[in-house]
Amino acid sequence: MPEKRPNNNFKLFKLARPYLGFILLILAASLVANGLNLFLPKVVAQTIDTFRSSNSIPVTFIRNFSLIIVFIFIFSTIQSLLQTYLSEKFARDLREKLITKISNQPYLFINQFTSEKLLTNLTADVDNIKQVVAQALIQIFASVITIVGATVLLLSINWRLALIVLTIIPLIVAIFTFIFSKIRKYFLRSQAIIDKLNKVINESIIASSLIRIINSQDWEFQKFSAVSQEAREVGLSILKLFSSLVPLIGLIANASIVAILLVGGKSIVLGTFTIGGFTAFMSYISMLIFPIVVLGFISNLIARAAVSFERVEAVLDAPVEKLYGDLDTEFKGNIVFENVNLTLNDKQILKNISFNIKANCKTAILGPTAAGKSQIFYLISGLIKPNSGQISIDNQPIFNYSQECLSRQIGLVFQDSSIFNTTIAENINFNNHDDPKSVNKAIATAELENFIDTLPQGLNTKIDERGNNLSGGQKQRITLARALALNPKILLLDDFTARVDKDTEKRITANLNKNYPQITEVLITQQISSAKDADQIILVMEGEILATGTHDYLLKNSSEYQQIYNSQQDLT
Amino acid sequence: MTDFSLKTFDKNTREKLSFWKLARQFWYFLKDEKPKLIGATLAIAINSTASIAAPFILGYTIDHFIIQKNLSGLTRFSLILSGIYLITFVTNFVQVRTMGTLGQNILFKLRNSLFSKIQTLPLRFFNQNKLGDLISRINNDTDKLNQFFSQQLNQFVGNIFTLIGIGVFIFFINYRLALVTLATAFVLFIITSIISPWIARRNRLSLQSLGGLSAEVSESLNYFKVIVSFNRRDYFRDNFNRSNQENFQMSFRSGIANNLMGPIYDFSGNLASLLVLLYGIFLITQGQLSIGILISFLSYTDRFYGPLRQMASLWAGVQTALAAWNRIFEILHLKSDLAILPESKAKDTKSMMHFDNVVFGYETDKPILKKVNFNFLEGKTYAIVGPTGGGKSTLASLMSRLYDPQKGTVYLSNCDIRTYRPEDLARKIGFILQETYLFTGTVGENIVYGNPEFKNYSKKKLEKLLKSLNLEALINKFEDGLDTKIVYNSESISLGQKQLISFIRAIIRRPKLLIMDEATANIDTVTETLLQTIIDKLPENTTKVIIAHRLNTIKKADEIYFVNNGRVITAQSFEHSVDMITKSKKNS
Repeated sequence: MPEKRPNNNFKLFKLARPYLGFILLILAASLVANGLNLFLPKVVAQTIDTFRSSNSIPVTFIRNFSLIIVFIFIFSTIQSLLQTYLSEKFARDLREKLITKISNQPYLFINQFTSEKLLTNLTADVDNIKQVVAQALIQIFASVITIVGATVLLLSINWRLALIVLTIIPLIVAIFTFIFSKIRKYFLRSQAIIDKLNKVINESIIASSLIRIINSQDWEFQKFSAVSQEAREVGLSILKLFSSLVPLIGLIANASIVAILLVGGKSIVLGTFTIGGFTAFMSYISMLIFPIVVLGFISNLIARAAVSFERVEAVLDAPVEKLYGDLDTEFKGNIVFENVNLTLNDKQILKNISFNIKANCKTAILGPTAAGKSQIFYLISGLIKPNSGQISIDNQPIFNYSQECLSRQIGLVFQDSSIFNTTIAENINFNNHDDPKSVNKAIATAELENFIDTLPQGLNTKIDERGNNLSGGQKQRITLARALALNPKILLLDDFTARVDKDTEKRITANLNKNYPQITEVLITQQISSAKDADQIILVMEGEILATGTHDYLLKNSSEYQQIYNSQQDLT
Repeated sequence: MTDFSLKTFDKNTREKLSFWKLARQFWYFLKDEKPKLIGATLAIAINSTASIAAPFILGYTIDHFIIQKNLSGLTRFSLILSGIYLITFVTNFVQVRTMGTLGQNILFKLRNSLFSKIQTLPLRFFNQNKLGDLISRINNDTDKLNQFFSQQLNQFVGNIFTLIGIGVFIFFINYRLALVTLATAFVLFIITSIISPWIARRNRLSLQSLGGLSAEVSESLNYFKVIVSFNRRDYFRDNFNRSNQENFQMSFRSGIANNLMGPIYDFSGNLASLLVLLYGIFLITQGQLSIGILISFLSYTDRFYGPLRQMASLWAGVQTALAAWNRIFEILHLKSDLAILPESKAKDTKSMMHFDNVVFGYETDKPILKKVNFNFLEGKTYAIVGPTGGGKSTLASLMSRLYDPQKGTVYLSNCDIRTYRPEDLARKIGFILQETYLFTGTVGENIVYGNPEFKNYSKKKLEKLLKSLNLEALINKFEDGLDTKIVYNSESISLGQKQLISFIRAIIRRPKLLIMDEATANIDTVTETLLQTIIDKLPENTTKVIIAHRLNTIKKADEIYFVNNGRVITAQSFEHSVDMITKSKKNS
């Protein structure tokens, strides 16, 4: 078996280690089936030779032959069943491993590895590896065994002729080596193109309404078609390399047949070789050639799987950043930021942010578009880590707490409403605490009762893909209910008022005060009318805090605040 | 109402995936490949003939030269054999190369057709089908067909040639032995044709579960933020593992269906050898057969059953390809229900958008809009207010023909909106959606996105254009201006900034009708004032429709419409609309 870049192929087999028992079992079955196969030509040859010398039909040979083929059938069936099982089990386990790894990663991991690539990892890449580990691996073993077996038998029949046949093996190895050295970069590109296709399709489906409105279907198609064309070119390059491989191997193998015909034929003429032996020899040669050709076919799979494995391994080997600690206490709700700096994608988002939020108070973070407000929100919830500075809740650094502790007590309402394709009930009770009282209180507070009552299936109504059957306000209120269903100690609302009308907002605020009196509320907003009643307003602009205080205080002391106030005055 | 949801096959579906029906449907994609198909078939035919001839010559050489001890004949025939092997090599190369290219072409065409078909389908299609499953159809299912064409079809055809060739050939050598050989094959043929539909169904289910898996991954990865912050990593894992387990079962079953034929075919091949051997020996004792012929006949039996054995797995490949094609065809045969009606003459009119008794619901029995009537005039500003979920966005979707009403007619400039070509609609209507959509690229690319007019604008020219439309100040809100990078689904730019891009994208098209569906909800008020001045500077005949719940943004409207419970009512005054909103709450 040619081993080009043994390192990588070897690593690929590492993944197969947990299944070694299984593989050995399959191998045993395959060994028996293939081993028995080797005897068939011999039995036939003996039958013929015996018949020629005694002119009678040898009954024992017939019995042997029948027994052998029944056993071959049984063992090859077992092998095939086990192999199918192993192949799918392997894929399932590898996917599970990947998903366990991915699901334990922090939020920013997805941005780094990109969802389109992870999707390919979990589907196409796993499939590529699966084929090799479960099928090609056994093919390789079976082929090697057949090759060795046939070689031994060839040698036993006539070692001189056998040596002629065996010269083809180094030749074939050389060809494999050459092609393998060329192919890797193409397969790497080919998998990367699948990622790209995923991405273009993903974006075009999510933005389907925009595309229809501005009639950019052609535009999208051009984008897709360019990647698709690239895929074809890489596919053809791979084809070019492999299309000569298999025929060439066949040619070399056939050359050996001609050689044997010539040399073996002469031996028979000279009387040093029997005709039966010659027949068997020919059969064994085809037995030797077949696995070699098979190896040619699957070498394609192996090269591709090696590349897929590299990609999957990058995910599996990515360090899991341990963001969170083990502390789990009930929060009072005091939040402190000390000199917090944050840089994302080489862009400084927050500069030296310090503030203090007291438990049970309402704080508004106010500022213009792209001031860095949402990032403050991510920091409070522990979704991302600051580059420097300290964030603490109740005098403990935030990352001392366990993630369970944070997520249980901090209710988050994101700006963009992510709604899962399941029932409303499951979307609201997302944390799965199964406490109907909390859920009902949350629904009532988010002013969802009337809406849910209008639905024939009520809470069990299934939400369409990406929440497409809900209005923006409904989605936003469902995400609010999702956060409140936790009975959180700290509630973070990111621009919640944007999609909810003033009146509903007022009633939701009143509900919050009534139903959740002991809550620390942090509100991100652009609207002074929403912020004005807060105990504290933090004015943020371009990643910096400009002023902190109550509405009246800021109105007197901050010119920027006044300016925003004025801009909203003539509108209200 | 057209149903665009793609079928889910369940375990008990009896639908037959008939080979001929599916093959007929597929012919369209092969039409242009005729020369390649003919070339490859020719190569395969030559190759098969050569492959059949080779062992015959081998047998002949043994019988006539080796046994007869004729060395010069042996050498001559060895040379002939070499020539035949050389032909095999060349034709083999040609067929692999041709069919591989054909496979790549088909993959390319199928992917493109699927993608462009999806682009022609209306929005309803996307509400009814899962993103991940669509991705899987475009990427995975098409590749199954590629694999079939590039790797399996040539073997398949080659084997059929070989089988027929050898079948006929052995008949001439000895028809009695041939009958014995073929009888076993015939039994196999019957077994295969009985279980094939079952194999296809198993494969269909397996591909479907792969689509399900991909759907699960896409959704969870797109919403990873919520999963992490609610610490529901287990939700992600459990859902995934459920699909994973389902996929495991389905793939295992289809795997068994695909692989079980192998041993059966093997067994038949061996059985045939035995029968031929016995019958051959019997014939020799009867003096009707020579030993040389029996040996070559045995080798033919091997040659016959070798390809037949391969047919077991190749046939499974055919069934997989059919199943994949079935999933692809489900999309390809869909037709948009938003047909374009023949043009009618526009009357000279000041009417911009006119709803005449419009009834609409996403589901037939649940109308969102009930008999809506209004007439928006050129150059005026209209505000649409109402509680959330009242139907405001739906109303706007009908104005830009994302959907057609079930009853009644929507008129644009007094012509049925259904008579406009999509590109004309897009030119006339600027619709800033509530949700913002950006594509990976730069701010500049996103602004000119989908706009053929500006596609080839240089940066300078674009800047000039933006300046003339007073949009310059907005671009300056981005760190690197037009060159600011946008990474899909990342936190690098804020929602307010995304809304700015959507706004600019619509404004530079200079639409006649500008619809803004809460388009500035996350933009700060200072910037919003700026946007207002930009809108004010639009040509006078621009009709503006503003959907909002923030009442302050609609004060400038000429008319205010109130939407709730599927009804659209004109508000007499701003105060009246405020009043209606307050009173409507109980019903929202």
